Amino acid sequence: MDHLANLYQIDSPDQFRDLLNQDLNRVSLINFWAPWAEPCKQMNQVVSELAKKYQQLLVLQVEAEDQPDITESFDIEAVPSFIVLRGHALLARISGADAPALTSAIATYTRPTPSAAPSVVSPPVEETQEELERRMREIMAQSKVVLFMKGEPSRPRCGFSSRAVALLERENVKFTHFDILSDEKVRQGLKKLNNWPTFPQFTVNGEFIGGLDVVTEMVENGEFAEVVGAA
Amino acid sequence: MAIDLQVLDQTIRSSFPVSHLEIEDQSSGCGENYAIVLVSEAFEGKTTLARHRWINEVLKNEISQMHAFSQKTFTPKQYAAYLAKGS
Repeated sequence: MDHLANLYQIDSPDQFRDLLNQDLNRVSLINFWAPWAEPCKQMNQVVSELAKKYQQLLVLQVEAEDQPDITESFDIEAVPSFIVLRGHALLARISGADAPALTSAIATYTRPTPSAAPSVVSPPVEETQEELERRMREIMAQSKVVLFMKGEPSRPRCGFSSRAVALLERENVKFTHFDILSDEKVRQGLKKLNNWPTFPQFTVNGEFIGGLDVVTEMVENGEFAEVVGAA
Repeated sequence: MAIDLQVLDQTIRSSFPVSHLEIEDQSSGCGENYAIVLVSEAFEGKTTLARHRWINEVLKNEISQMHAFSQKTFTPKQYAAYLAKGS
């Protein structure tokens, strides 16, 4: 591999922090990988291509198991995983070997002007608290029942999210979902808005009704049928 | 840090009128993973979410030190019905 000026192998948290601190307006891509994970081989190629194409992008390769502090600070659960930052601000998170999603995210955030048609709808980079809250409430009301989960129903990224999907399907409830891994602002904002620290989160008619434990109990005691049944 | 089962029991009893309380250490004695069943008349008229939030608040310090925590709540009437179903 050619030596790329904007691509670094990270070997310490200090180096990681110093590189990010050099320019807090710069967009960076962090690649969490492991040599034993087959999908990382292909995605490392993708990352290398992106580094070549976008010279303004700072690309940091983190071998997840060698850098547990960095890995844990970003809540990385599996490799490959990718984090896009502007300075220290989290713009996006991509889990798994999803080359189209990664490419699209980089293209969106390194564009000088807001994009017209990325394959993933990107949240506005500058957003006030009120705008974020309004956006979250819109998503909570996008359908009668909304499941805020990690991943998507056909590919949940955590056991609890998987059980949440199974519960709704078992109860024969139509729902839409929102992948909180795709939007860090919504992920943190919802925890505050709904005063609930974890995901999955269920909303009905735009209102938060609980997490997995709560809704499981509501199904057992009949409350769920009431809440969803009401027009 | 492990949570002592007695401490958990006492904290719950001092905040709720308890008809029935079960605390199971699901971490095989490590004290990091608890499941509780709490039957209390104080839950009458409260939604499931309200009950869970209440417990989360009372046990905030303890839960923050656990890896996992799950809870089932009942009013005395609900618990009687649950037992009758023979689960």
